[in-house]
Amino acid sequence: MKLDTTGLESFPSLLAPQSDVVGELSAAPSFDLPNSNDVSIQFDGFLKEAIQMVKPAKGTTTLAFIFKEGVMVAADSRASMGGYISSQSVKKIIEINPYMLGTMAGGAADCQFWHRNLGIKTSLLPSFCSSLLHLGIPWLFPYNFVIDIVAAAIVEKEQKKWCRLHELANKRRISVTGASKLLANILYSYRGMGLSVGTMIAGWDETGPGLYYVDSEGGRLKGTRFSVGSGSPYAYGVLDSGYRYDLSIEEAAELARRAIYHATFRDGASGGVASVYYVGPNGWKKLSGDDVGELHYHYYPVTPSTVEQEMVEATGA
Amino acid sequence: MECVFGLVGNGFAIVVADSSAVHSILVHKSNEDKIMVLDSHKLIAASGEPGDRVQFTEYIQKNVALYQFRNGIPLTTAAAANFTRGELATALRKNPYSVNILLAGYDKETGPALYYIDYIATLHKLEKGAFGYGSYFSLSMMDRHYHSGMSVEEAIDLVDKCIMEIRSRLVVAPPNFVIKIVDKDGAREYAWRESVKDTPVPSA
Amino acid sequence: MSRRYDSRTTIFSPEGRLYQVEYAMEAIGNAGTAIGILSKDGVVLVGEKKVTSKLLQTSTSTEKMYKIDDHVACAVAGIMSDANILINTARVQAQRYAYAYQEPMPVEQLVQSLCDTKQGYTQFGGLRPFGVSFLFAGWDKNFGFQLYTSDPSGNYGGWKAAAIGANNQAAQSILKQDYKDDITREEAVQLALKVLSKTMDSTSLTSEKLELAEVLLSPSGKVKYQVCSPENLTKLLVKFGVTQPATETA
Repeated sequence: MKLDTTGLESFPSLLAPQSDVVGELSAAPSFDLPNSNDVSIQFDGFLKEAIQMVKPAKGTTTLAFIFKEGVMVAADSRASMGGYISSQSVKKIIEINPYMLGTMAGGAADCQFWHRNLGIKTSLLPSFCSSLLHLGIPWLFPYNFVIDIVAAAIVEKEQKKWCRLHELANKRRISVTGASKLLANILYSYRGMGLSVGTMIAGWDETGPGLYYVDSEGGRLKGTRFSVGSGSPYAYGVLDSGYRYDLSIEEAAELARRAIYHATFRDGASGGVASVYYVGPNGWKKLSGDDVGELHYHYYPVTPSTVEQEMVEATGA
Repeated sequence: MECVFGLVGNGFAIVVADSSAVHSILVHKSNEDKIMVLDSHKLIAASGEPGDRVQFTEYIQKNVALYQFRNGIPLTTAAAANFTRGELATALRKNPYSVNILLAGYDKETGPALYYIDYIATLHKLEKGAFGYGSYFSLSMMDRHYHSGMSVEEAIDLVDKCIMEIRSRLVVAPPNFVIKIVDKDGAREYAWRESVKDTPVPSA
Repeated sequence: MSRRYDSRTTIFSPEGRLYQVEYAMEAIGNAGTAIGILSKDGVVLVGEKKVTSKLLQTSTSTEKMYKIDDHVACAVAGIMSDANILINTARVQAQRYAYAYQEPMPVEQLVQSLCDTKQGYTQFGGLRPFGVSFLFAGWDKNFGFQLYTSDPSGNYGGWKAAAIGANNQAAQSILKQDYKDDITREEAVQLALKVLSKTMDSTSLTSEKLELAEVLLSPSGKVKYQVCSPENLTKLLVKFGVTQPATETA
């Protein structure tokens, strides 16, 4: 049974037919609310705003943290469009190079999927985006998701390209600091064009483990513990309570897995497989990929409930 | 929510900023340093959209450094403030920008100074100023308790009063603050006021 | 041989010279002399007027001295039409700086920006270099009173005393001999007039052939650019005894 998250999605301009808005009796149409089933329209301003602000990080749970042995990175694998689950097997942890990983949240989650399926080329982004923007703001909304995915795919590809170029030019791998700044600069240059990307760059470089959070607003934060996506509050709950710097690799992997699992349990837009990666001094390694459904029964096995009363064949007359 | 404030004392200026990186209802980080050391005797504290904040302050920092390399003399605080204002005003007309700035500095000739530049590029020279939700509390606090020629001890006392008021009265109060100071000996970090300890980022 | 290398400003001769630039400097050697002397309480600029027709009616009182900003003035030697262009760009630069930083432009920066313009004409194709040398006198809060020279190549330097234009070599050597480090402004004026009286081709020094301007700090601490009136100049000439007693002026 999946949770219904339609209330969190809002495409107000498209879903509310114009004819319903202006009724015969509405003397002061400016005070009318659109006659719509869309729950988000009925919310008060603050809640609506809050949903709008969480929206960029929709449909995903990703997390990463630095600990004694390196960086642990984990993510779910669900791609959704509103209530519709479009894929249960999306690779949200992208391997930038053998020592660096990137996570994708928001439209970014499906970047690889769209990248392969649509065969979009890197150079298409500026023209693609601007052509959509030229159609005007109202048109932008329904396409937002598509842009995100395309943009994320391209941004990701750009990122990979720049990191490789850096290796070729400088004869050494790019630092996590450098790679994240590069990505932040790329995203910042597309700011205001409707992108929604929330990503973490995790890796091991000459200075040791590194972790940065980068988003499409151009924000870039250095830290030890991040979670991104609509499931991130749930993941943070598990992560913060179980985190210690001196975790072993096994403990850290288990913490990451559990955090993703619990996020997928409460967040309908997250689900599928909980993948766990570890980045150490010798590069990244995928540690596990477990179906969260199976994880659920692993963590909470079905216990045969004690039968209080059994039906028995009626005897006698 | 964001709280940035500062004041000028006797021979020094102090700037305080919260250190929370917030995204909607989530606190991503509570030890983010929002006060940049512009050059040896200048501090720039900024609040606003995180991307714009970092991009703009870095741009100003690099330009101030470039000026010093080219001309062999540093910009005065007043010149840096006017330059920052001008750059913000031009940037503002190209695309939307949202950064509020407090610029503090110390010059040999003129002593300490505090400049206030808001997101629409209004420039004021002040002896005390504040931005963000915290300003409602810190401004009145400073209006009541500030006097000219404060000593560092008195000023820090006032800063702590402001922080306590914000923490106790602001719904979305940030837990941690960073305090920086600039005087004749230069710009430097003075102290942190932390009520929630984040795991420190392993230093590079 | 050298003819092949002097038609363009941007080509080096085999000896490594830029002839056009050198010719431009030559042109300045024929212009009226200008002398600048730095003193502890101001900078003195003295210039020799070449055009002194009785029929001439000029709009400005000075021919060789120009105020660039409230705190900088310059004396010119060379082609005046070229100088006008450069003075204009210098004024624009000074105002642009004041606009950006709300404070006066440091003197050396102003000189440098002008010299960047001059340099451009020795490198970028097809154009003629500016046939102008300048003396810049100014004050800023970083380095106090300053005196700079610049030539058509775009070179500039800071000096305690300097001369440009006709006979600048001779003037320079007298300055070198007579300059003292803690000279006052009045002594500087005297020295400048003395140097000019010795190096000028004309037999006598009169106020019609001279210009005197000073950059100084007023008692209130503001920078002031002061041009000496012909009457005062005559008095000074008499006072310092560098003119034949009023035979011609009377």
